[in-house]
Amino acid sequence: MAALRQIAFYGKGGIGKSTTSQNTLASMAHYFDKNIMIVGCDPKADSTRLILHEKAQNTILQMAAEMGTVEDLELEDALKPGAGIFSADTSGGWINCTESGGPEPGVGCAGRGVITAINFLEEEGAYEAEGLDFVSYDVLGDVVCGGFAMPIREGKAQEIYIVMSGEMMAMYAANNISKGILKYANTGGVRLAGLVCNARMTDFEYDLSKALAEDLGTHLIHFVPRNNIVQRAEIRRMTVVEYSPKCDQAIEYKELARKIIANDYKIIPTPLEMDDLEDLIMKYGLDLEADEDNIGKSEGEA
Amino acid sequence: MFILGFKFPAEMGNKIPDEAVVAKLDEANIDATGINEIKMSTEYHGQTEELSYTNKDTFMFKALVNYINTAETDYMIYMNRYQIAEISKRLDSDDETMELCKKFDSMAHFKIRAA
Repeated sequence: MAALRQIAFYGKGGIGKSTTSQNTLASMAHYFDKNIMIVGCDPKADSTRLILHEKAQNTILQMAAEMGTVEDLELEDALKPGAGIFSADTSGGWINCTESGGPEPGVGCAGRGVITAINFLEEEGAYEAEGLDFVSYDVLGDVVCGGFAMPIREGKAQEIYIVMSGEMMAMYAANNISKGILKYANTGGVRLAGLVCNARMTDFEYDLSKALAEDLGTHLIHFVPRNNIVQRAEIRRMTVVEYSPKCDQAIEYKELARKIIANDYKIIPTPLEMDDLEDLIMKYGLDLEADEDNIGKSEGEA
Repeated sequence: MFILGFKFPAEMGNKIPDEAVVAKLDEANIDATGINEIKMSTEYHGQTEELSYTNKDTFMFKALVNYINTAETDYMIYMNRYQIAEISKRLDSDDETMELCKKFDSMAHFKIRAA
């Protein structure tokens, strides 16, 4: 039996981490028979809705608060089997889902939910489920908040996939997350396993993403194009893989899934200095007219 | 590392030499018998275009035939297309191929088939 692999998807808020991760994990289960546990680490609790066909799963923190303490919580309450083709009752791999949850906006530490959830799942034996191949953490935003770095700090997530795009802030966040990985790489054994470009379809996006990956010492594992079918599937609370398994976008996610399963390129990243990141963006022409003389000038002036 | 769908071992790093990719294509024993033309159709923002490619003596042709032979459908995966263009620009030099490389660099959606 292959060893359990613990992976995590990080990236800037709004970049499409949850969509990318759920579609990719769905492909890993459906096309490659992998058994997966998703641990949503976002207070929005939207890391599992497409697998469960639900609006938002009750979170571990929420249920613990209702019951009084996390010790009163049972694993069956917090860990739900995937709907439809992701259930253990159907052929192919299965997906089980849980969400850590978090405090009300503006109150408390959101990372606390992540810590509580992981401890609870460990104590309840969720990581020892028979046939489990992958645990996947879907982690909110940046790693500036130490709580969100929990899966890597504690050596849980070993392989980090950063979801990014060719936009400056997404690249900035990818670089910042790499700094977080670097900080814990020697103590916890975490490694950067690749960048996933969830494309905005901006100019030179592939070249830019690939160049950033190379500078970080990693690889651009896949370029996921934008396709409206993803939104159509989301309206039905489904992954594309389930909604339209033969569509072009499903082929893209299937290819990303195949690569993640086969991936052995895991490195300690070499993050860029801010100036180098800006130079990279200029080089690949996000702003084609951005020579020093044009900085601060409008399109008309330049 | 993955290039054109081929897996390269981690010890090769993140900059794979073009010769290693060509060697993988050679190992794949691509059967191009009877394929004299590759037809493609593109679509972007509702605009469609039909394309034809015939230069059989190029990396581009070999890579496209391999893609056709191994793909599940006629849809071209973006990443593979970008990588084919990237390598072809270094290994091929004729005008027909360079023109196709430019088109491959776009955001358009490509379908491909052998003719």
